[in-house]
Amino acid sequence: MIRLDLNENPYSPPKEVIDEAKKGLSEVRRYCDPKYLEELRNLIEEYTKIPKDKIVVSPGSDIILREMIHEFSIDREVITVNPSFFPALECAKRHARKLVRFQLTPPEFRLNSEVLMQEIRDPSLIIIDNPNNPTGVEVLDRDLIIKILENTNSLLLVDEAYYEFSLKTSSGLINDFDNLAITRTLDKGFSLAGLRVGYLLAGEKFREGLSDFITFLPRPSVYAAITALKNRDYMRENVEKIIRERKRLMNELKELGIEAFPSSTNFILIRSDVVGLSGRLRSKGIAIKDLSREWIPGYYRISIGLPEENDLLLKSLKELLNKES
Amino acid sequence: MIRVGLIVNPIAGMGGSVGLKGTDGEAYKKAVELGAKPVSSIRVRDVFSLIRRKDILFFVAPGIMGEDYVKGTGFKYEIVGHVGEKTSAEDTKRIAKEMMEEKIDLLIFVGGDGTARDIADSIDLRIPVLAVPSGVKMFSSVFTLSPHAAANIIDSFNKETPLTEREVMDIDEDAFRENRLAARLYSYLRVPRIEPLLQASKEASSVGKSEEAQKREIADYIVENMENDFVYFLGPGTTVKAIADRIGVEKTLLGIDAVYNGRLIGKDLNEKGLLKIIDTYGKAEIIITPIGGNGFIFGRGSKQFTPKVLEKIGKENIIVVGTKAKVLKLECLRVDTGDADVDRMLSGPVKVVAGYKEEVIMEVRA
Repeated sequence: MIRLDLNENPYSPPKEVIDEAKKGLSEVRRYCDPKYLEELRNLIEEYTKIPKDKIVVSPGSDIILREMIHEFSIDREVITVNPSFFPALECAKRHARKLVRFQLTPPEFRLNSEVLMQEIRDPSLIIIDNPNNPTGVEVLDRDLIIKILENTNSLLLVDEAYYEFSLKTSSGLINDFDNLAITRTLDKGFSLAGLRVGYLLAGEKFREGLSDFITFLPRPSVYAAITALKNRDYMRENVEKIIRERKRLMNELKELGIEAFPSSTNFILIRSDVVGLSGRLRSKGIAIKDLSREWIPGYYRISIGLPEENDLLLKSLKELLNKES
Repeated sequence: MIRVGLIVNPIAGMGGSVGLKGTDGEAYKKAVELGAKPVSSIRVRDVFSLIRRKDILFFVAPGIMGEDYVKGTGFKYEIVGHVGEKTSAEDTKRIAKEMMEEKIDLLIFVGGDGTARDIADSIDLRIPVLAVPSGVKMFSSVFTLSPHAAANIIDSFNKETPLTEREVMDIDEDAFRENRLAARLYSYLRVPRIEPLLQASKEASSVGKSEEAQKREIADYIVENMENDFVYFLGPGTTVKAIADRIGVEKTLLGIDAVYNGRLIGKDLNEKGLLKIIDTYGKAEIIITPIGGNGFIFGRGSKQFTPKVLEKIGKENIIVVGTKAKVLKLECLRVDTGDADVDRMLSGPVKVVAGYKEEVIMEVRA
């Protein structure tokens, strides 16, 4: 099965990263030595230019997102967008004042900022992935982020899982605003999805509530992450290759007459009237993400694969479209 | 072994290729004259070729209304009812009733909106249906998306499968041919609620609990926030019915009822009745749910809420409710009241109550 449904990086990390993970595995009976976790935080500091005392590492960004949602939704209005895939929102409702989702709709998938600003007059926790998964769109621009942060009643949590592709970040605002936090991951750009290494850049208001968060990671994950952050060139090269492929795929999809939306990530959102598209591609050995369970039917998310995988996808799509007409 | 009924409308969909927008009444003859080919037979054969399970006993309508497609597939089947040389809507209605007597677990029908209405006329909400689309007009949200989806549902269906109501719409075919869409909510049918095959994924879903549980959550939230000395007009549909159930009043499923301080003060109201209540009580709120699939809140399912009524009530007194399973699948909410000013007044962002302490911000478009 060609997996184009999970937004994974199609390129493996280099041998030295794999070797370090193996080394960690050979020492697996031992907990990770805190000095390696310290080294990892030093490297994240160097990479993000955010002081170390504002960095929290986590076994995957989902775990810390979950923790943040539980901790900071209490007595607040929790605001997010649909579609998105944040964990624990259903549980958060128990303690939150309420949960509000802004439905993003085509073709622009714009967040209604006027309504948002009205909503955050009460204490709120705003959780938004930027760029958004699965639309690929930058939902928040810098002006809106600053407007939100200037409202001291609100806490803003931005998930920048696709930062390595978009190269846009709000991290520079963390020093000025204590109500901003950002999650990142080494899953995507750094090709380490299977090792689950995430981190949080947190303003003061967030750090207070996270004092008892366990930031203990498995040895293989820590060793590999350290080596990955020391050898960032491979990440850059792979990201560039993926972006080139994304542009090619985008053009070719459009040539096939498929509606494809601009993206600043490693995936493309498409719309198609071909009934049962994902099931039919699956029977041809290609998995894409059908979004009809949580969003508007007819929309699919395709992760950028290797060039030959993308070729196969295009060929299969062409066959399906010919059959339809 | 599950007992599955099959009724095929052999002429559904024939109007499409020849541009006739349906085959109700006289249009069928015209479609044949224009060289239209049967569509239903292809659809139903597609479905049969994709079914994997074997433990099904089919109860089929005779000939081209069912039997012809099961013959030779290896499935066991029994023929139900009789039909003459020419088949009609009456055959569909009669045979559907006879199949109920055979204690079928699921009724598959192949057709369009017209067929769905015939089925809704004959069976009640106890028997789930699987509606395979082959008609020209398919505004009803009962239909599955594709033969693949239909086969998946048949494969995974059992007596414990959760069911959910879907709308059956009545479209005026003559108006539709003139490019006017005159539609109203006709009835409801129950369909198996089987989500797309769940794949192992790290991505959390925003949909959450079962649709029935979501309706109860909505009802709890709405009722807890209801104010005294305020009239609430309860619009059609099962989501709003859950609110009536929670209050403890009987709801007209397809109509509009009024409640005041937990009491029913108007049943199945028309425009005149609504206006009279507004005049008597001074203020009122509407609780309305969008139609699944197209998102209409006014102008399709609840024509009793006329522009005049809506003007008096005002946008700020309209509470939209809908399960996440329904509203998150909509691009927007829609209005088409027939009055452009009222449509404009209703347009723009609106909060939809989608669960207990849960809202979705959506756009209303005219």
